[in-house]
Amino acid sequence: MLAFALQRTAQMALVIFGVITLTFFAIRLVPGDPARLMEPPGTPESVLDLTRQKLGTDKPLSRQYLDFLSQLARGDMGTSFRGGRPVASTVLESVPNTLALGAISMAITTLVAFPLGIAASRKPNGWLDRATLALSSIAQATPGFWLGVMLALLFAVNLRWFPAIGNAGWKSYVLPVATLVISLFPLQIRAVRQAFIETMGEGFVRAARARGLSERRLLGVHITKVAAIPLITIIGLQAGYVLGGAIVIESIFNWPGIGNLTLQAISQRDFPMIQGTVLITAVVFTLINFFVDLTYAALDPRVRLR
Amino acid sequence: MIADPTLPETTTVASSAGAGAQPSLRRLMGEIRQRKVATAGLLVFLAILLIALLAPLLAPHEPLKQNLGDNFLPPAWKDGGDWTYPFGTDPLGRDILTRLMYGARSSLIISIGAVFVGLAIGLVTGLVAGFYGGFLDTTLMRLGDIQLAFPFVLFAIAILAVSPNRTVWHLMAVLGISSWVIYARVVRSRVLSERNKDYARAAQAVGASRWRVLRRYVLPNVWQAMVPIALLNLAYFVVVESLLSFIALGLSPPNPSWGSIRADGRQYMMVDPWMALLPGFAIVITVLAIGLAADGFADILDPKLTQGAFQRQPLTSSMPDSTIAEESENDLLQVRNVCIDYPAKSGTVHAVRDVSLDVAPAEVVGIVGESGSGKSTLGLAIMQLLDAPGRVTDGALLFEGADLARASNKRMNQIRGRGIGMIFQDPGNSLNPVLTVGYQLAEVIRANRAASGDGIRTLARQSLAAMNIADPDRVLRAYPFQLSGGMQQRVMIALAMIAKPRLLILDEPTSALDVTTQAQLLAELESLRAEHRTSMLFISHDIALLAQIASRIVVMYAGQVIESGPRDTVVANPLHPYTRALIGAVERVDAAGEERLEAIAGDPPDLRIVQPGCPFAPRCPLVMDRCWTVAPPRIAREPGHEVACHLYESPGSKEIAA
Ligand code: SF4
Repeated sequence: MLAFALQRTAQMALVIFGVITLTFFAIRLVPGDPARLMEPPGTPESVLDLTRQKLGTDKPLSRQYLDFLSQLARGDMGTSFRGGRPVASTVLESVPNTLALGAISMAITTLVAFPLGIAASRKPNGWLDRATLALSSIAQATPGFWLGVMLALLFAVNLRWFPAIGNAGWKSYVLPVATLVISLFPLQIRAVRQAFIETMGEGFVRAARARGLSERRLLGVHITKVAAIPLITIIGLQAGYVLGGAIVIESIFNWPGIGNLTLQAISQRDFPMIQGTVLITAVVFTLINFFVDLTYAALDPRVRLR
Repeated sequence: MIADPTLPETTTVASSAGAGAQPSLRRLMGEIRQRKVATAGLLVFLAILLIALLAPLLAPHEPLKQNLGDNFLPPAWKDGGDWTYPFGTDPLGRDILTRLMYGARSSLIISIGAVFVGLAIGLVTGLVAGFYGGFLDTTLMRLGDIQLAFPFVLFAIAILAVSPNRTVWHLMAVLGISSWVIYARVVRSRVLSERNKDYARAAQAVGASRWRVLRRYVLPNVWQAMVPIALLNLAYFVVVESLLSFIALGLSPPNPSWGSIRADGRQYMMVDPWMALLPGFAIVITVLAIGLAADGFADILDPKLTQGAFQRQPLTSSMPDSTIAEESENDLLQVRNVCIDYPAKSGTVHAVRDVSLDVAPAEVVGIVGESGSGKSTLGLAIMQLLDAPGRVTDGALLFEGADLARASNKRMNQIRGRGIGMIFQDPGNSLNPVLTVGYQLAEVIRANRAASGDGIRTLARQSLAAMNIADPDRVLRAYPFQLSGGMQQRVMIALAMIAKPRLLILDEPTSALDVTTQAQLLAELESLRAEHRTSMLFISHDIALLAQIASRIVVMYAGQVIESGPRDTVVANPLHPYTRALIGAVERVDAAGEERLEAIAGDPPDLRIVQPGCPFAPRCPLVMDRCWTVAPPRIAREPGHEVACHLYESPGSKEIAA
């Protein structure tokens, strides 16, 4: 178990390092000079040079990269090109907003998808199953960004029930959470349904039934304990999706989270800020994966006791 | 579920059809037509695709032509709209319908192209990883893991954000690269499983090159599995493509795209909501259509997901009169004229046909037959554990005088375990993998109120010790996967014996075990029978094995009993040509001392067809004209020894009314 944790930690560190390195070079190797973007059009070269010096983008790439790494090693993520805010605190302030949105959405999705998916799996092709699948097909076909705008149009602009943008109390959560839940539940409900149907067909369920165990025990213990294992992976994948999808949802609802920050930073070519958001996203993401793996091992003795 | 003998031809037909190279894709196309919803989805998608491809011919206007005098025109059905611009115009006076059609064009071309990029990369890497294995395999798959372990949208956004001019090719590549892992994994696992199958091995043994085997046997199966995956992937790309253009990272403007029309629409939502709504609907319809088609294909490839595994319903028809008349006190189990069907689209499989047999208290009856003979199906039917859609359609299964086929679900649940126990072929798959042996024993002990409190553990230990398990405490703590096959099967028997059933059905209980373990297990079963007077119905393909343990032997072929009688007479004097061949095959094996020979030339019959004559006729060495047209009657030769064959219709034998 300890060896497993250590190995995974090393692997995570490697992935994060790879991601930030890639990001560092990708954003610098393409045309588009941040200095030029910051100054008004027509600014003379001499002034631009000064700006470049200030930003540090005049130095050779390798120098910039080494500076970046040594800064990072000291826990300093630099300051934003725009307004000089420290990147670390700006990014870390935005993280709780994103996590709250994601966690609430994931929790609601799971609370809806599990009971409904299990109920549907009891009678495949029955009316409940068909209705569930039809609903999830439609939800799956509805792009989150479109849905978000439509919900905002209807409930925020026309009906004025909920605010359309920003985070000002629980009411602000309703629309972005609804959008995320509607995009998340189809996949999860299908996964739950499939895992339960497949597990119900397993030999050990048939054998347990042959022992005269009650249907309640079969579903509550034998099927659920096994079917839950692959679902952990799905939930982990979805958590990742929430993190990635946050960019879009957050920009629609102008949510003060890390996704919105990333998108702004990209459009402003704010190098330190892009690096910071990508780094933190990668860290959060790998941590989620790590916990998924741990849960997996805890639930499945075949993995744990290998 | 690999080659489960309890599932009759429905599944084996499907999988063996896949083995015959070319027809698999065509079969898929043929079967999709029987599914209305999926076909509708496929047709709608093809229609959208056609409109998209023919946009330059169909569109009423130029996609980029601005007409500032005509900007913000409403759609035709609103006040002030007209049919020159059916869906109205955008802020630059461009026709929205035209832009939607061109949007479909770029969206679908990019998405389809991306699917092919991903498919191509995935196919190559999957094939290489699967065929060469080793270091290459590990590296490629680990690379895939890492890619999957990171939210790709973020990468796509970063890469596209920094590309100054985004063409169709950029988008195809970026999207395509994101999905290779999915394909590679499927291809790899297919290659691994296909290359180990007999036909691929055989082909390689006769010198067919690796790539020939690949092309002939592996690829057709791979293609088939790819269809639903590629469709779902396509649907996903349509959404992602529009998302990217929505956040201005798709095709560089002014090229129309569904996402960018949406984004334009968003700015003018108050003035003209249609501009925002229409592209959204276009995306929803397209993605929904693709999704429905994908579901249909997935369903064809894995019908279990819509069928479910176990859906028992008691038989409602009344019992045949003959059954009631024949009832006798002496027999524990009386199977009377039982028929079992598996309805299927390709034709109902008549797995068991008019089978009757008896098991007396403390008796061991053996059922022998090849896979597909219906022997395992019969065993499951007695337990009322048939997989959907199989069901008993006629006859009666009398256990202690009560009909199991007509018993309520509740009653049946009481009989299972307590009245009748069952041991299955694959012990590794019969124990719950994530519960300890101790837990599973305690659970059964509690369910039967066989002990309580501290007594549970004592009883659990005793029941393992009774199966000659030397170290019961270790086994109690173990998970099933930590035990050997023989040990797992002992645990299964211990579990079954806790409730002290009167009848134990054993479906090939020793087939998965080595010879030594097999012999030990048989001895243990024999002592159980002696001690508890448990009756046994022992199902096996091996008549030599049954000769060791059973006192009566029933031979099944094509779902029918073709011969039955006391062990000694059946073994010493087999009557039916099929039984003779079975025993002959055993003797040949004994003589050769190794390799089990294919018992009898020819294939088992297609159980969807009910032939008029003898089911064995196509393979019978002694076949006569009559055999093809007239069903052979059941004839009693010696006391209790019956055979269904025309050879014995001599005046001396007595025909039994069926
Ligand atoms: S009835 Fe005819 S075909 Fe059938 S086993 Fe007897 S001889 Fe052979």
